[in-house]
Amino acid sequence: MEIFPALLTVITDPTLILAIILAAIVGMVVGATPGLTASAAIAMLLPVTFYMSPIFALAFLYVIGKSGRYGGSVAAILFNTPGTAASAATQIDGYPLARAGKAGKAMKVATISSVIGDLMGDVMLVIGFGFIAVIALKLGPPETFAIYFAAFVVIGSVIGKSIIKGLISALLGIIVAMVGLDPISSEERYTFGSFDLSNGIGLVPLMIGVFVLGEVFAQLEARKKAKGEIKENPNDPNGYSLSFDEYRPCIPHAIRGGFIGAGIGVLPGLGSAIAAFISYGEGKRRAKNPEQWGKGALEGIAAPEAANNAVSGPSMAPLLALGIPGSTIGAILLGVFLIHGIQVGPTLFLTDKELVYQLFACGMLGIIAYGLIGYFGASQMARLILRVPSSVLYPLIFMTAFVAAYSARGSVFDVTVMVAAGFVGWLMRKYDFNVAAFVISFVLAKGAEETFRQSLLMSDGGAMIFIERPIAAAFLFIGIAAMGFRIRQIMKEQRIVKGALGDA
Amino acid sequence: MKRRFFIGAAVAAAALITTANSFAADWPKRPINLVVPYKAGGGTDAYARAISAAAEGVLDVPVVVVNKPGSGGLNGANAVVGARPDGYTMMMTSGGSFLLSTMTRETKIDPLESFDFVAQVGQLRTALMVPVNSPFKTAQDVIEAAKADPGSLRWAHSGRGGFHHVGGLGFLSMNDIKAQDVPFKGGGPTRAALIGEQADFGFLGVQQLRGFEEQIRALAVNSEDRDTIMSDVPSFGELGVPFAAVSSPVIVFAPKGTPAEVTSAMEAALSEIVAKPEFAELLAERGTGPVYASGADAKAGLAAMKSDAEPLVKDLTN
Repeated sequence: MEIFPALLTVITDPTLILAIILAAIVGMVVGATPGLTASAAIAMLLPVTFYMSPIFALAFLYVIGKSGRYGGSVAAILFNTPGTAASAATQIDGYPLARAGKAGKAMKVATISSVIGDLMGDVMLVIGFGFIAVIALKLGPPETFAIYFAAFVVIGSVIGKSIIKGLISALLGIIVAMVGLDPISSEERYTFGSFDLSNGIGLVPLMIGVFVLGEVFAQLEARKKAKGEIKENPNDPNGYSLSFDEYRPCIPHAIRGGFIGAGIGVLPGLGSAIAAFISYGEGKRRAKNPEQWGKGALEGIAAPEAANNAVSGPSMAPLLALGIPGSTIGAILLGVFLIHGIQVGPTLFLTDKELVYQLFACGMLGIIAYGLIGYFGASQMARLILRVPSSVLYPLIFMTAFVAAYSARGSVFDVTVMVAAGFVGWLMRKYDFNVAAFVISFVLAKGAEETFRQSLLMSDGGAMIFIERPIAAAFLFIGIAAMGFRIRQIMKEQRIVKGALGDA
Repeated sequence: MKRRFFIGAAVAAAALITTANSFAADWPKRPINLVVPYKAGGGTDAYARAISAAAEGVLDVPVVVVNKPGSGGLNGANAVVGARPDGYTMMMTSGGSFLLSTMTRETKIDPLESFDFVAQVGQLRTALMVPVNSPFKTAQDVIEAAKADPGSLRWAHSGRGGFHHVGGLGFLSMNDIKAQDVPFKGGGPTRAALIGEQADFGFLGVQQLRGFEEQIRALAVNSEDRDTIMSDVPSFGELGVPFAAVSSPVIVFAPKGTPAEVTSAMEAALSEIVAKPEFAELLAERGTGPVYASGADAKAGLAAMKSDAEPLVKDLTN
């Protein structure tokens, strides 16, 4: 129960509390601004944290991640554009509620459900982390590779509209990850004789480019086209407050969402968006009022919002215990640990146990912070965001992107990478390729390749090592099962489409 | 006209020479940038930060640590080799890793030729380690097991071409044994792999043992004498086990052409800084410590290591 002394340490440090509150606000604003994601904000704020102590830096970025996931729901409900991919499911019922003048109510449900889900995830993390840390010491390259494999396959299966374009995006991410030094032989590859490229492509400039610059370019293009007025949502005098009786039917959905999110969070690579959609689907299937879902059911907000936030805590388990970044946010946090000289992985629990629990404690306080701010101030904040004209916002973001890309490593080459990535990100968006699949496969590819080749070096019987070791075999099985499940689903969908055409 | 030009040029040249001279004399006037070609938080970085902290009172100006990571240390070296040799940009690096990376990678930099040696301030040594539950109690056990079944053992290190890898290769070839290497990324993951018994033995920094005495066991440090800090670990030299003298002295380099007055002033300042108890304290928690040598000695040491390592890295060159 190391969490209690950790909580005490954190609560008695007023500057740390201030940092957490600041992070909660930053995360909310960024999450609520369409086009900006929490991971992009974290990438841009990374250089600032170099000068903070480790716990400050980590808590700051970790809480931004949490409240950013929540902030996405504000944009989803009010503007019908998900602020982050994770809140796309919230949009289904959120926007109809807003159109019916119940935006305030919907946002309060989103806030409470996010807090419930997030806290559930964190409690499970705190309870489970000790066990995971003990097991982690026994997991070697074959097991780690199997976990990467499972993560890869499942990303592939949620790739979005076009499977081919999604796979091409993922493949592109893998190829870009290969640039630099070979992880085993330390030989240069794909560097074309360039000294700068021998260092590989940095995650931070790549992310800022793809997510921030790409988005700015896309917005520039969208501005040229005529744009419809944002419809002012009608205001229902009863639509703002929320009574307990109204929330009561949401509770089981929020709790189920919490479990779904936590379960998905432990598996690296899946992420919040998937958790939200699974929880929404599962909620609708079990709901007493499924006909209401999609037309403005409060439960339809509770289920995905609890799930997408519940991912946050448990996704720290593979990151901290095994060094496997399950998300772009995770990959950046990994860098923060390294910058501060803390080795993430099985030995983290031996060296920096206190720091780990303090981080968890900060996370919990962050949840409470964004919960309170969101419950009382989400609609005011949303109005404020609407008021900032994009002609001010986007140039500012554009400039910050350059500063952040340069200052992460003090490298001009990184700025070049960012600009190139920006164009790639813009083109990918324009032609419906999957930007998220590109970045996450970039993040996973390096570790997957390294552990795969280490395993083969360790093995006397080639690839048999993955089957001989039970944990590795289990994760490989999960991956293959997920793939099979997805293929069946696609075939079913195609049959429906064909059937529909046959009817017509 | 011509004459006037000539006089002007002569005056300008004279002015330049005098400024250069006076400039060397009142060095240092500005903060000194100490480039570390690795990420913040590593072993070499810890040395640089300890120097920066302990320099107060010895040097009148601050020593600023600048991390320029990438390409196995060559990125930072490239930046410093082209820097103005005015004594305000120097580099601190892990000499062994630097030497080996210039030997195995395609680069114009030669540590012995491209830089002036200022001083050595520390020493990183590699050691033969095993998981704590390993049946191997001594270095001899490892050698015998490898001889009994050649190629069956797996050994971990922190990356091919690094001084831990080359040190391990030296141990294998000097004792005429074979084992399959499994490279990990850096010292931390290598140690974690050893703790998890993913390899039979490993070569990693002797200071990595600090705080992990219950998880791993160091059988021998790869040098003639024991490490000054981790002095409980026997050395290959005293055990009579043949080895290749590959280690990594932490050396401060200056760009070629830095005025001799400046390098010798910095050398004197470093010897004073390294002798401060504060410096040793800052390093002690990482299991490392001060090991001072003059610039000339550091250069001789690195040159000797180069000839020792040459046959071992022959196959690694690309």
